[in-house]
Amino acid sequence: MAATKTRTSSFSRNLPAASSAQSPEIKCGPNGTFLVSSGIPDLDKTLGGGIPLGSLVMVMEDSEAPHHMLLLRNFMSQGLVHKQPLLYASPSKDPRGFLGTLPSPSSPKDDKSRSHDAEQEKGLRIAWQYKKYFGENQSNLDGQRGMILFRFIVLYNKQEFSNEFDLRRPLDRHFYTGQHVDCISTKDLPNIAALQERCTSFLSQFSRYICTFFAIDFVCFTNLLIVTFRNDATVACTGRIAIQSLCAPQCESSNMEWEMLSFIRSLKSTVRSANAVAIITFPSSLVSATFCKRWQHLADCLVSVKAIPDEDKELAKLLTGYQDIVGFLNIHRVPRINTQVPAVLEATTLSIKLQKRRYLVLECLNQAPVDGSSGSSYGTSGNCSGASSKSGSLDF
Amino acid sequence: MADSICRTIRDGALEGEHAPSLTIKDTTASPYGFGVFTHVLSQASTLILAGKSQSRGLVVVAYSRSPSFYLDFLKRSGVDVASSQKWIHILDCYTDPLGWKHQLADSGILPSNSSAGACLFQDVKDINKLQSLILELGSGLVGQGKVRFSVAIDSVTEMLRHVPLSKVAALISDLRSHDQISSIFWLLHSDIHDVRVTTSLEYLSSMVASVESLNQSSDGLSGDLGNLSLLEQNFRRGKFHVRFKRRNGRVRVMNEQFHMEESGIKFTSVTVEDGLVSQGLVPKVLFNLELSEKEKLERARVVLPFEHQGNGKPIQIYDGRRSLAPESMGEVSADTSQSSTEECSNGGGEIIYFRDSDDERPDSDEDPDDDLDI
Repeated sequence: MAATKTRTSSFSRNLPAASSAQSPEIKCGPNGTFLVSSGIPDLDKTLGGGIPLGSLVMVMEDSEAPHHMLLLRNFMSQGLVHKQPLLYASPSKDPRGFLGTLPSPSSPKDDKSRSHDAEQEKGLRIAWQYKKYFGENQSNLDGQRGMILFRFIVLYNKQEFSNEFDLRRPLDRHFYTGQHVDCISTKDLPNIAALQERCTSFLSQFSRYICTFFAIDFVCFTNLLIVTFRNDATVACTGRIAIQSLCAPQCESSNMEWEMLSFIRSLKSTVRSANAVAIITFPSSLVSATFCKRWQHLADCLVSVKAIPDEDKELAKLLTGYQDIVGFLNIHRVPRINTQVPAVLEATTLSIKLQKRRYLVLECLNQAPVDGSSGSSYGTSGNCSGASSKSGSLDF
Repeated sequence: MADSICRTIRDGALEGEHAPSLTIKDTTASPYGFGVFTHVLSQASTLILAGKSQSRGLVVVAYSRSPSFYLDFLKRSGVDVASSQKWIHILDCYTDPLGWKHQLADSGILPSNSSAGACLFQDVKDINKLQSLILELGSGLVGQGKVRFSVAIDSVTEMLRHVPLSKVAALISDLRSHDQISSIFWLLHSDIHDVRVTTSLEYLSSMVASVESLNQSSDGLSGDLGNLSLLEQNFRRGKFHVRFKRRNGRVRVMNEQFHMEESGIKFTSVTVEDGLVSQGLVPKVLFNLELSEKEKLERARVVLPFEHQGNGKPIQIYDGRRSLAPESMGEVSADTSQSSTEECSNGGGEIIYFRDSDDERPDSDEDPDDDLDI
């Protein structure tokens, strides 16, 4: 392993000593990446286990619906519950006030009642929604060995990789009153440079690489300047950045599109070399089309949310569970770090549901069986046709 | 629906939430946005006076009409303006927005006349001052504390002449998140602005009401002279289309028709149901799942290339060897297309059918079993 090699002057990646058994907040992912949870177990499953450290997640907002806030809330709560330092930027005057609305992890017995509820579906429906139930079993098998242990000892050790969050219960104050939580308001910033500096200084605590410089002063070669950045990828040293509504119209800097582009680019590169994850939401309809495309290209993980019309009879006929769905989530790009192999998702469109108005659940779209007279096939996994049509309706 | 809008404005804001905000937008094709604005204004005033709404006062920021116009209008609508000092304040940005008259009065050129009633605002480029004045006037009406008031901005289009979009957006978002604001609504002429301006303001609003014309032709010159009177009549009518952003994240879309009259604007429900099809969301299949009536009729008329049509008489089929006997092909024949299930019929097509039995040579002595190699 790397530890036995003698180091002369080289960069070497210090693999974190923490394995999954020691810190459940970080999971080992494929291709040498480490994953953190997004706060939404269904999204973690779709993304292949979680969000890799070092990736930039961009969420394209729909100006008609606040679903990106659901994603942000869960993401931030997950970080706070795991005591990971957080930097939050928002266009409101008092971003800290938002922290009081973050959801709290739900207690285990609430979880049980939720899964029990799902089984009480009518017998007729199971025939073509069977994938929903298979999925739960599979995730247990695929997960780390440490995870199964943790499900049994959840009573003793509250730390899991990913929690269910109850949107109706606010997070306890002690989670977010602390030095490790920092908030900025982007509203009155004259330009984006201030935000960039804060992000850079925040991320400097999590830099991943040990880098050793030897600089020799030629006048007196006994002077050796060694600069070493220490790095310990322990739990306390993985950070999260959440930037809400980056190009909101009330921010002064929303006009400066090139500056914002270079900000995102520098943030992406800084995050990549740090043990951190950044999530940026932006209203895609307010950014000009060319810049929107550029921003999308910069994202490691690109996701968009979409509102659905209310009381729409056509949709109600087409989708089951329409009355529970509040919106759609489209996954455009899955983070693929250290690999060239593309990820092929079973379904790129998920429906956002709030179960009992408390728990955020993402589900694959289940198309209702079409009338027999029309002769089209039953959508056993309505994903294929559902996904292609939904993604077709999107405009970037 | 105009009633739903007024109800939402009446209900106001919940604790900890942004105040509901309404954008009324119109275009030159149907320039009745101001009619809608005044309608909402009079409804809001009536509710405030009756004590039925959350807000107890109204601040009108008037850019495009004078304050006396509003007071007259409210009087004509049956709202009691005698006690107007107690519940409405009109911020006059119409008379002297840039302070020119004031300057001229100072230098003695113009006689100065004091404005009665309304509060004169002479510095529209200073958005911070405007904001603090709005808040001051509002809390002057309702007092400090938990009581809220509403804000109506006559024309954001006029505001945007003096102040850039980011500042206007900042003003609106500040007002929305202020504790004392119950609701806020404004008018916008959307074809004067960039698309970005309109989408930004829609982003900030929880309801978007657009006034559209009935005839969709953009040039409006499509009718000839005979239809001119019809065009004129239709010009005073239009479609009123509202999108509500609900709390659960869904969007409710409603449609109405309106009719502009002397006394004001009247709303009626849509007479013809267009059947809102969620265009982008219905799956696009490659084949027609349903046939129209015409298509069903045509399908019934297709003569199929079978020997027995089931109607008692055998049919002659062209087998490529004999000449076409026109009598036997006297029935209407149809053409079938190559695609899987689509059936459309054009009159005058033919079905050319070659029997499989034609492939065999007559009187052949070949025994097909001879090909087997056993």
